[in-house]
Amino acid sequence: MVNCLNKNYYVCTGCALLCDDIEVEVSGDHITKIKTVCRKGFSRIGGCIEPMPCTSDGKSVDITTAIKDAASILMNADNPLIFGLGNSTSGAQKQAIELAKRIGAVIDDSSSFCQGPIIEAILHEKIHTCTLDDVRNRADVIVYWGADPSNSHPRHLSMHSYFPRGEERQHGWEDDRTAIAIDVRRSHTAKICGNRFYQIPLHTDAFLIEALIDALSGKVPKVPFEYDIKKILELANVLKKAQFGVIFAGLGVVYSIGDMGTMTRLMDKLNEVSNFHLIPMMGHYNMRGFNQNLFEATGYFNRVKFEKRENGFDVKHGVDYSIMEVLNTKKTDAALIIGSDPMSCLPRSTAEYLSEIPLVSIGPCENFTSRVAKVTIPSALSGVECGGSAVRMDGVKVTFEPMIKTARLSDEEILKRIMEAI
Amino acid sequence: MELGKFLTAPEYGFVIVTYRDIFQSAALEKSRFGEEYRKLSAVIKMDSGDIKKLGVVEGDTVVVKNACGKVVVRVEESGYDVPHQGVAYMPNSPWSNSLVSADTGGTGVPKYKMIKVMVSNARGEAITGMM
Repeated sequence: MVNCLNKNYYVCTGCALLCDDIEVEVSGDHITKIKTVCRKGFSRIGGCIEPMPCTSDGKSVDITTAIKDAASILMNADNPLIFGLGNSTSGAQKQAIELAKRIGAVIDDSSSFCQGPIIEAILHEKIHTCTLDDVRNRADVIVYWGADPSNSHPRHLSMHSYFPRGEERQHGWEDDRTAIAIDVRRSHTAKICGNRFYQIPLHTDAFLIEALIDALSGKVPKVPFEYDIKKILELANVLKKAQFGVIFAGLGVVYSIGDMGTMTRLMDKLNEVSNFHLIPMMGHYNMRGFNQNLFEATGYFNRVKFEKRENGFDVKHGVDYSIMEVLNTKKTDAALIIGSDPMSCLPRSTAEYLSEIPLVSIGPCENFTSRVAKVTIPSALSGVECGGSAVRMDGVKVTFEPMIKTARLSDEEILKRIMEAI
Repeated sequence: MELGKFLTAPEYGFVIVTYRDIFQSAALEKSRFGEEYRKLSAVIKMDSGDIKKLGVVEGDTVVVKNACGKVVVRVEESGYDVPHQGVAYMPNSPWSNSLVSADTGGTGVPKYKMIKVMVSNARGEAITGMM
């Protein structure tokens, strides 16, 4: 919470922008007015209409019983899975990592099937990155590649990347900034970019990257699909002339190119001839926090298994410990899901296995996963009902205070109590 | 008697690309089980030529299926300026995820933005319910 001009500003946990200029009016333990937020944040802070019940085996129980039953499920499992945590504070994530060590669990998050490759490249310093504050103050060429922040991160353009009059961009979007969209469809963000929209066929991003590398190297670019080569040369020229360029990489380009090898080569080339940075369009508010916390604890940013040994544990990592593979191969025999809904966000045929094993679901709201869980534990909605810290999509740590009080425990407190019960 | 209703509706191959929609995301925050989320999720956006080919109009339902699953969703015209026959768009949701293959080719990453399906006129069949 920031106090400025005698006003208290809160942080929105609706997405990984972690907007820190939110005003609320509170009456008792209820929020009566929310100002500044986007539609998505308004809905997050306003709360859900189906709060998570506290249950065990389908019956309402008190929190102590639910925690005891959750601990029992995890203790009796040979290959437990811990998944989620993108919507949890860094404190809760660290607690979950300790729990995974204690019970010898696989621990993974949704970066496993979205922005993982970019985060890996950034954490290993293979890709030049910057903060959103740098973008706001300095960026003159902004590329939204396979990303549509107008829908996914609604205040991205207004607060950071395009419309603000930053320190070195006082003439704003009208004169000082060039926004470019590269996508397979004219998204809402692409519409804002006007004639700087480069529409490409499905899954051809890697070809465009190669063509841009050629153009930036003074060669004639080629692509194996019908495209006006002059447009590629024109795009390369704009990128080359950037004083401070940034690529916001969305899932469109991540899924299309698979690994980051080609993008890394483009970034290297861009930084030979210009000055370019890349920021991943992380979705959940603290997905990056999970990746960084796990990286600090193990050297790996997701897909980790703590294999118990007589004196401690071995850390294993790889695709075999991704949520997709542990569910597809039915290797896991119990799961703890925190602030996530894999029944909704994974392929249905993969997620259905969760309904065959003892499952514990922790979160502020009921979801498709909690409805098949053996134990459900309600938690405080972070940023609204409990404070903590998180890592913004650009790697900046943000701390926040609760807006209102609640009797519900935070994810961190619940995980701590599960640890104590084991 | 309408003979047409006894004939199988022709099926056409499409590739579905999923996307995010702010209105659907806001509805999800409020309730994953509510009518608003269902209405904004169980949607397929198609090229106007494809809608005509399927013999449906905007608001009608179509069957979208492949080896992974089958859902009935409502058709909307995409409104994109560039024609995109054979490519359709669905918001990321349990409806689109019913069609995503579990096979990740050893990467651990499902093909959320490259879902191969067959689509046909659902002839009034209701939108698929989720749980």
